[in-house]
Amino acid sequence: MMEKTVLINCSPKQKLSVSGFLMKCAGVLIRGKKEYFHLRTPADYPAILQALKGAGKVVFVTPLYVDSIPSHMLPFMQEMEELCRGNGLRLKVYVIANNGFIEGKQNEPLMQVMENFCARSGLTWCGGIGIGGGVMLNVERIMITVMFGLMLLNVLLSAVQGGDVLDAVLSFGKSLLGLVILACGIIAFGIRLAVHINRGTDAGKKYTRIMLPSFVFIAFADIFFIIVSVLQGGIFRGWLSRFQPDAGCSIITENGK
Amino acid sequence: MKTVIHDLGKEQNEKILASTDRVVCADGRYAPCQGCFKCWTKHPASCAMKDVLHQACRVLGTSDDLTIITENRYGSYSQAVKNILDRSIATSTPFSTYRKGQMHHTLRYGKRNRLHLIVYGSLTDAEKNTWQLMAERNAINMGFREYSITFCADAEEAGRTA
Ligand SMILES: Cc1cc2nc3c(=O)[nH]c(=O)nc-3n(C[C@H](O)[C@H](O)[C@H](O)COP(=O)(O)O)c2cc1C
Repeated sequence: MMEKTVLINCSPKQKLSVSGFLMKCAGVLIRGKKEYFHLRTPADYPAILQALKGAGKVVFVTPLYVDSIPSHMLPFMQEMEELCRGNGLRLKVYVIANNGFIEGKQNEPLMQVMENFCARSGLTWCGGIGIGGGVMLNVERIMITVMFGLMLLNVLLSAVQGGDVLDAVLSFGKSLLGLVILACGIIAFGIRLAVHINRGTDAGKKYTRIMLPSFVFIAFADIFFIIVSVLQGGIFRGWLSRFQPDAGCSIITENGK
Repeated sequence: MKTVIHDLGKEQNEKILASTDRVVCADGRYAPCQGCFKCWTKHPASCAMKDVLHQACRVLGTSDDLTIITENRYGSYSQAVKNILDRSIATSTPFSTYRKGQMHHTLRYGKRNRLHLIVYGSLTDAEKNTWQLMAERNAINMGFREYSITFCADAEEAGRTA
């Protein structure tokens, strides 16, 4: 019988997280019984820990936060360590990390943290992938949805007006191809990882990225944040200012106070 | 300005204050980052969550010398400390640049002097290696000119080292 795989989306975002998307993609490629979870608060722990008891493999899908795992993952990992040591669970652990910067290699410290976690918990570290420029996957999936809608509209219009239906489909295909090329490393390494997960073998650590030169990616990122900051108004509220802490900032204890 | 962030309990504040300007006690009584980026795009340098970490980035950003005392967790920070770091990304701006040949954000408060990590608790050799890498990467990411790291056996020794 095939072992159950538990997939955990570790992004704190409620919706539209890259990790959530990557988890679903991985789920499509992984065979056998699967269970999906979203780890955000301690209320999520019991169900996940319960599922781990009957599983053979676990896939953590996580964003990189300040060169490491997001802080909310830690108390969960400590409980998982206890559970696994206490019950002699020897799960195989895989990681799919994504980060904001373009270099996937920047996920290396996070990967090491997960490997150290496995060593302490008696789990089998099986590696994973680190994806640079992960945010672009969100842009891509939104673009694909919009373009697909537009294509359907075009096809419909062409059909009604007697135009060339194939034109609309072809232009959609071309744009889609472009997006697939940008993500080709992620797709290739993703498939490779899935093969390892299915076989239960060590995948090693692999780093990939969105296939754009970094200066182009930086230009896109800057434009993206300018647009969002205009829409949300931050650009008019001291966007780049060196704000000082308010006098009553209560986390600080100062000399003479 | 010199700041020490620590997770040793607030009883240690007084003692640590003898050798620094400001102390931040990481007691964990605050929420983790939700990943909304509004500290960049909506209300710069303040967090959308109005707990004690609302302005944490301003405290870190104005710390030319930053010492972080943390218990070891798998080669990374304790949750109470990491939470403060995650909630402080507005020490940078949303703009991107290169540092040491890789992509990073430009610094709201400019380059800072020195990051010193004091890590205590049980540590494996692998975890020590991860910490060396973590300190180096954090220093580049947060824009510190120098960094150093000290390993301590327990909280008591870490308190004395600060
Ligand atoms: C608090 C915080 C810290 C982050 N730190 C880093 C970092 O150090 N390096 C990096 O490349 N990206 C960093 N990012 C960017 C995220 O990794 C990136 O946005 C990722 O795509 C989020 O994935 P998600 O949608 O699954 O949450 C950070 C994001 C946040 C909110």
